[in-house]
Amino acid sequence: MPAYRTGFALPLDELRDEIDRLWTSLVTAPPLHGWGPRAEERVFPAVNLRETFDAFTVEAELPGISVSDVDISVAGDSLVLKGSRPGADATTEAPTDATTDATSGATGERPVGEKVVWLLQERGTGAFERRITLPVAVDSQRVEARLVDGVLTVVCPKLAACQPRKVEVRSA
Amino acid sequence: MVTKTEPATSPSAAGGGLTYRPNVDASDRGTEVVLVADMPGASATTIDVTFEDGVLSLHGRVVPRPPSGRVIRQEYGIGDYRRSLRLGAGFDGTRIAADYRQGVLTIRVPRLAAVLPRKIEVRAG
Repeated sequence: MPAYRTGFALPLDELRDEIDRLWTSLVTAPPLHGWGPRAEERVFPAVNLRETFDAFTVEAELPGISVSDVDISVAGDSLVLKGSRPGADATTEAPTDATTDATSGATGERPVGEKVVWLLQERGTGAFERRITLPVAVDSQRVEARLVDGVLTVVCPKLAACQPRKVEVRSA
Repeated sequence: MVTKTEPATSPSAAGGGLTYRPNVDASDRGTEVVLVADMPGASATTIDVTFEDGVLSLHGRVVPRPPSGRVIRQEYGIGDYRRSLRLGAGFDGTRIAADYRQGVLTIRVPRLAAVLPRKIEVRAG
């Protein structure tokens, strides 16, 4: 009897698993945000947060965003990353100088012949805002940020009052 | 906005770490195809762009950033970038230009002059 039941149940189990997989792939497919293995990846930017003895380091990947396009503010234990990434055309505008010279002269307009056909559009553009709550308050005066090769690193020193302190034991 | 997605779970042959598939915008502008790839954390010297048999391959080596401290939150991984894109025939592999700035790689692949449309002048005899 058990053998029969297993044999009967297995194809149904497989079907159910298959439907589960299909459903998961449907509900987790965010067409506007690309595919991500985890839900948090849909928020932009994704951040990595590390803690050392006296500071927190927040790292985020912001490709194509210049220093002037990102705004970082710190208050207490919250860090806000705000900014925007320019549209796709702004980043690929360079070829027009070459083509305008050849075809339409110094009009500065895009030549009529150049039609842009998008083959792939996976990179998002537009505004973003991300608020990160740090475990303890940080010293906003001493927060330092660097943006190198599209990687933003924000070092937030902990407030002196929040830093771990070694308590000396006095002998009586 | 899109963060780095689709970790290609196969460890890269050389480094042993994960490789990631960069997000790419590709546009056909008639005389050339322009590809823009997000590859934050790489550098101009560690990116290889090759074009062979109509396939453009990107490989960006990312030097591991020395981890400091305890991980509290890890939302993305760090590793090399690798992607191949089939463009097909009719491109001039010798005139491909690649430029890397602010973590974004821009590649211009010009079409061969022979395949571009040309207006033929009719001469009066």
